[in-house]
Amino acid sequence: MSNTLRPYLAAVRSTLTAALCLENFSSQVVERHNKPEVEARSSSEVVMNPLIISRNENEKVLIEPSINSIRISIKIKQADEIETILCKKFTRFMMLRAENFIILRRKPIDGYNISFLITNFHTEQMYKHKLVDFIIQFMEDVDREINEMKLSINARARIVAESYLFQVRETILTNLWIFYLLYHY
Amino acid sequence: MILLDYHNVVIEETLTQPIVNLEPTTLDMTVVDFDGVSYHLSTPVSKSVIKFSLVMQCYKELVKWGAQDMLQREYGPYYIPKEEGYDVTLEFDLQKLPEDKEQREELVKKLALIKRNLMAQPFERAFEQQAKFEKEEQANPTPDLMPIHYRDQEAIYIQAQLDRVTVIFSTLFKEETDRIFGKLFLQEFVDARRLPALQNAPQVLYSSKEPPLEVRHLSEFKNLSENEDISYVTFVLFPRHFVKGDVREKTISQIQLFRDYLHYHIKCSKAYMHSRMRARVQAFLKVLNRAKPEVPNVEKKTITLVTLYLVVFEYL
Amino acid sequence: MSRLPPVIMDNGTGYTKLGFAGNNIPSFVFPTVIATRDSAGTGNTGSSIPSKPSHLSGNIASKRGIEDLDFFIGNEALANSKTYGLHYPIRHGQIDNWDQMERFWEQSIFKYLRCEPEDHYFLLTEPPLNAPENREQTAEIMFESFNIQGLYIAVQAVLALAASWTSNKVSGQVLTGTVVDSGDGVTHVIPVAEGYVVGSSIKHIPIAGRDITSFVQQLHRERNETSIPPEDSLKVAERIKEQYSYVCQDIVKEFKKYDQEPDKNFEKYQGVHSVTGQPYEIDVGFERFLGPEIFFNPEIASSDFLTPLPEVVDNVIQSCPIDVRRGLYKNIVLSGGSTMFKDFSKRLQRDIKRTVDVRVKRSETLSGGTLKATPIEVNVISHKKQRYAVWFGGSLLGSTPKFYEYCHTKAEYEEHGPSICRHNHVFGSMG
Repeated sequence: MSNTLRPYLAAVRSTLTAALCLENFSSQVVERHNKPEVEARSSSEVVMNPLIISRNENEKVLIEPSINSIRISIKIKQADEIETILCKKFTRFMMLRAENFIILRRKPIDGYNISFLITNFHTEQMYKHKLVDFIIQFMEDVDREINEMKLSINARARIVAESYLFQVRETILTNLWIFYLLYHY
Repeated sequence: MILLDYHNVVIEETLTQPIVNLEPTTLDMTVVDFDGVSYHLSTPVSKSVIKFSLVMQCYKELVKWGAQDMLQREYGPYYIPKEEGYDVTLEFDLQKLPEDKEQREELVKKLALIKRNLMAQPFERAFEQQAKFEKEEQANPTPDLMPIHYRDQEAIYIQAQLDRVTVIFSTLFKEETDRIFGKLFLQEFVDARRLPALQNAPQVLYSSKEPPLEVRHLSEFKNLSENEDISYVTFVLFPRHFVKGDVREKTISQIQLFRDYLHYHIKCSKAYMHSRMRARVQAFLKVLNRAKPEVPNVEKKTITLVTLYLVVFEYL
Repeated sequence: MSRLPPVIMDNGTGYTKLGFAGNNIPSFVFPTVIATRDSAGTGNTGSSIPSKPSHLSGNIASKRGIEDLDFFIGNEALANSKTYGLHYPIRHGQIDNWDQMERFWEQSIFKYLRCEPEDHYFLLTEPPLNAPENREQTAEIMFESFNIQGLYIAVQAVLALAASWTSNKVSGQVLTGTVVDSGDGVTHVIPVAEGYVVGSSIKHIPIAGRDITSFVQQLHRERNETSIPPEDSLKVAERIKEQYSYVCQDIVKEFKKYDQEPDKNFEKYQGVHSVTGQPYEIDVGFERFLGPEIFFNPEIASSDFLTPLPEVVDNVIQSCPIDVRRGLYKNIVLSGGSTMFKDFSKRLQRDIKRTVDVRVKRSETLSGGTLKATPIEVNVISHKKQRYAVWFGGSLLGSTPKFYEYCHTKAEYEEHGPSICRHNHVFGSMG
């Protein structure tokens, strides 16, 4: 774990732990409704100030607390075109399966790649600290996964190109190639 | 499967029974091949006369570069006037096939490779032209630039030069992901030559947006606005890549499948990515599920005779 | 480019049928099996991720980059079963392992069909009562990995109904009927009303092709047919089932017929020993009609399932809404290899008709002669394309110009996401 990642994650962890004190709160506007206030925004006094924790301009977390719900949006590092597309694919893939993820929002907030919405019902049914663990783990793993995917696609491309060109080159060198393979791998 | 086959498996399998084993069958089948080629196998007259037709987009262009001669040469005895809607038609009368079984097997092989053989014509021609230029040592050769529009918006251009033959592919990526993956793959094709073992492979050049110099004067590029989705790949083949015989045949087979090979692997990479993502999502779900307290599965019941009975029964 | 024919893929539990729309028979039929390197570890449970990224050692990364292309499908998979591990990606008609299925499709398309999926529309099949999530996943793979132009997912039973339109017994293109689908492993009876499967009434019967084969084998054993080499006994039974079996109309009469004129009815089967290569010959007798008879008198072969097929079909139709029952009786369609026996349809029709007539008569007598029922028409339809009926139905629909209107296109997918594929229009419901 690099130097800046640790404090970054630590900051997210402590903020989340603090923010995750939710209570059951009925809507003040519609009778017998109970809506996540951070989404509904029907009464401003129950929505707290949002907070951004940012590691650099490409990686940040937006935490929007409210009385009965909290929204966490993550911007994932995207260094180049490939990482952008991989990130897009991956978050989309997850959001299509939002049903299983319970706390995952089907659409991210503008400017972020993925958002989670935790309500008081979630915290009542699940361990709070484990939910925080999940978010942190997600942030750690998603970077790694995208990185790994990028590497393996690069590696694939290399093999694909090599095995194609290998077919077109002169045949005399076959032995040399085998020798090279043995040596290289 | 890393490399694609050169021959068409459906044709081979379908025709083996009637042609190799001489078993009459009824056929009426449409089969396709890469690059929009489609075949029609039928037995309209009798069970023992098979008609084999083919249609391909660039047939007219291929005829210009000698496809007809090749057909006459290779499939001559079976060549008949073409069927409505098709470019080439061959007819096989099971009673008039060669006696030798091996020859018939050869014939089926040849049929499965017909698309490859047709597409090979411009290559052969370019190779011969190059040999001629080299022999005559012409200062300013006037080679043909042979465009083959084998798909909508995609084409191959082949040109012989004094000491080399250049083959230029234009390929279109319909999707953002494909374009980015394609770029990455093509870059690897360019870089692969750095490997010592591949130094003798043909040189590969790659550019997107701008067509290469050799073809830029063509009218089709004049009014083409810059299109990010099209990439141009140039293969530079030196005479050592097309030494007559196996090497040449292999080079031709391989080069003409370039586009399909590239797109096949882009798709495979996406499939691979999918399986990785599935695994990762599964792992994330596991972490998330840890947050759910385990529901204690004991329901408190008053013991009645029935439940007691069930419990005892379970133990038995 | 002229429009290329749509690709029809029918991935069944046992066999996959591949081909192009407009053809009469699938271009490929092979087992739905994939052979992968087990050590590779990608796939099986779906939860194994290569643990550590190996940035530094390029060689591992490059080897990893390729291992997922090292696999075989279909017959080639079976041929390589010694060095590779076999997996069956479809269980009970439903896709069980998506990683493997995706790769199975990959090779089906590029190696066998040799088509560029970007140029084609695809028609896939699904079992009745398939979960909509499965459709979404299928669409995700098809559109995102393969960039196909359009997709239609059809219910197998409905396609089997469509396949019967070629039979001259069927008037018009009706999508109401009962499908009796009998393959190798299991037999389904599926009622379809106006293109929709009546899910609650579907019945499965654990008697199918495999059971007939083993029953024939058992008969041989009981008869002490010594000339069959033990290693070939399954194959011989299969051959006899396929080549000589038929359905008799009356089992007692049939026995009598065989006794009176043995030389007319007994057949000879000639085989070659698979190991030693010696030819042998066996008599084929009662098993000719006794094999398929287990559909009609299950008690002769099994002791756990005792309801004869005609009765099951009748029960299924009786459990359907009353307003569609006539249509269901009128159009009983056969599909799958195990319904190919000669006179199978005749016998089934007669038996069902008998039950129905008895019921009608009884209700007439109960009413005291005041009510007169219109006779119920019972038709069991047998046609030439029965063996690959599902595939053929797909091919038929895929070759109509209207097919493209029913498909979900790539553009629609991009616009709305995979959820559009949850619903596929029933043919004939639009316009």
